[in-house]
Amino acid sequence: MSRGHNTLENRRKLTLFGLLLPPSVFLAVFFLGPLAIMIVYSWLTPGLYGGVEWKFFHLNYGRILGWADTKYERFDPVYIEIFLRSVKLAATTVLLSLILCYPVAFWVSRMSDRMKNLVIFLITLPFFISLIVRLFAWVLILRPTGFFNQALMGLGLIDQPLEIIFTGTAVVIGMVYVFVPFMFLPLYASIEKLDHSLIEASQDLGANRLQTFFRVILPMTLPGIVGGSIIVFIPSLGNFIVPSLLGGAKVVMIGNLIEQQFLSARNWPFGAALGMMVMAAVLVLLLYYIRIVTREERRSGGSKVAEEVAA
Amino acid sequence: MQGILRIESASKSFQAPEGGVIRALDNVSLTVAHNEFLTLLGPSGCGKTTLLRAVSGFEDLDGGEIYIDGQPVSDQPAHKRPVNTVFQRYALFPHLSVQRNVAYSLEVRGVAKAEIRQRVGSMLELVGLAGMGARKIGQLSGGQQQRVALARSLVARPKILLLDEPLSALDKNLRHKMQQELKTLQHELGISFIFVTHDQEEALVMSDRIAVLNGGNIQQLDAPEELYRRPANEFVARFIGESNLLDATVVSVAGARCDVVLTDGTVIRDCPVNGLKRGDPAKVLIRPENLLADLGQSGSGERAGHEISGTVSESFFAGTDYRLVLSCQGLPPVRASLRAGPGTSHHTIGEQTSLFVPHDAVHLIPGNGVPA
Repeated sequence: MSRGHNTLENRRKLTLFGLLLPPSVFLAVFFLGPLAIMIVYSWLTPGLYGGVEWKFFHLNYGRILGWADTKYERFDPVYIEIFLRSVKLAATTVLLSLILCYPVAFWVSRMSDRMKNLVIFLITLPFFISLIVRLFAWVLILRPTGFFNQALMGLGLIDQPLEIIFTGTAVVIGMVYVFVPFMFLPLYASIEKLDHSLIEASQDLGANRLQTFFRVILPMTLPGIVGGSIIVFIPSLGNFIVPSLLGGAKVVMIGNLIEQQFLSARNWPFGAALGMMVMAAVLVLLLYYIRIVTREERRSGGSKVAEEVAA
Repeated sequence: MQGILRIESASKSFQAPEGGVIRALDNVSLTVAHNEFLTLLGPSGCGKTTLLRAVSGFEDLDGGEIYIDGQPVSDQPAHKRPVNTVFQRYALFPHLSVQRNVAYSLEVRGVAKAEIRQRVGSMLELVGLAGMGARKIGQLSGGQQQRVALARSLVARPKILLLDEPLSALDKNLRHKMQQELKTLQHELGISFIFVTHDQEEALVMSDRIAVLNGGNIQQLDAPEELYRRPANEFVARFIGESNLLDATVVSVAGARCDVVLTDGTVIRDCPVNGLKRGDPAKVLIRPENLLADLGQSGSGERAGHEISGTVSESFFAGTDYRLVLSCQGLPPVRASLRAGPGTSHHTIGEQTSLFVPHDAVHLIPGNGVPA
């Protein structure tokens, strides 16, 4: 009896293994491999004409973080400035898309099923058009003679065109536009499953709207907020298309810097080191997210989960 | 009567999804006394939940007014009304511990921490959950969640506790236990309870008074015994308990008593008159358990006018009693539960028999049973 059970169990494991093998191999070769190369390169000496020399070199990081040997490389605070500016722009993007999406997600969650599906479809619709085309459309909208300034001047609100294009504002507008769907979907998922009777219970127990929001709605939708924020923050932080089109030469983000090091300056180890900075920031965020999610699971009947794991 | 709750001519209509209008509450008036356990009983869609939600503040009335302790509350939002609700599926906050769930209404009112701890502690003790404050909601059984919900809605000492079918998710044994506990709790606390259910047995066991609702109207508002013995109309008679309802006409009246004739010509004598006059149509209500087995003197003087005769068409033994169905020419089938004691025996199917109708076992419902 137990033997039959065992062979069945083994066969199941084998099937699972067989199914998981190809994607695992693919990821190992094409994701972990290049990542390892980048980590190694970031500690190597830049070659004179591009490429690398296989000699340990820590000044790639020194240039960024403040230790330098003037014989080879100089510390320049501009890299940290650019990194912090990128964090600021990405954080602003997260905040604005959160403020934009949260009430909309609430509104959509109250719609009929048909309308819900339609709205979700509409939100994913921009993916059907090339990102470059959409961003050039924003160039046309935001430039001094563009639609936005023309409209404001036509209404008599301003006399001179506002300088929006090639500023941080333009970059944030562009990134919010690009990443709003990534914020909306996880937010919507957690708001949709929010039990409305909990809101009524809160009111019934004497909580006003504000108290109900902060004591029930916000904590119950926190996983969606954190999830959406991370999914938006990561690609915003490393983004280089939006700042290069809407930020021009004035607003450089760390993504542009990395791109320049690899393609123009041909200093691969330094580019790799800059890339590691972005990775480190992202890793810290992911660890924080995992902590919140596991705490959430423990909260909603962690004993059950533990039992299932034990069984 | 100046009760804790007075509802005056409450009306509420909903737009039906398929078009048309549903009248959930049709001019409902009701007064609940201090310290009363009142049940709103009715089938689904009868308006009982709408009425409860109107009191708690989650439903605006189209017309009428609700007074809690003498104060009109139509302008008060739900969070300002001195009532609390136990929800059907409890609606406990899954992200908070038992302690924090119960403390919720005190926390939002800014009660001092020490007082909160003390009141939550004694409340948990009262519902039998002492020492469970640190538990997560997901770790509790259905019955324990029920108790947390009770504690949570009682801790702020509401003037009225509203209960929206709170026992329907529990299994039968636990439900009986909770029925008794609720009743005891209400006695101890001296708070008026308004309890919504579609379970007539539950309503009979727990209530001081029951309001039977149907189609947005109160059909009858009475003590359980009165409701069972003397239902105001056919709906109430059918909804509460088992019943035989037979069409009849009043043939003679003598004081508080009258004689009626059934559609098959059988005469039942000495029925309580219930305001009927000679020639009036009526429904005769006889509860199955009030019929008695024939003792063999059928047709003799004493029994005349107090029996129904027919053929046994169904018969089975159900522990405490025999259930049988009597088919009579010209009458709908008559059901009877006969006490199964020593010396009694089973009726066989096809047997001719008569059942004795004690005169105090008959209740006459005026008219053809159509609610006025």
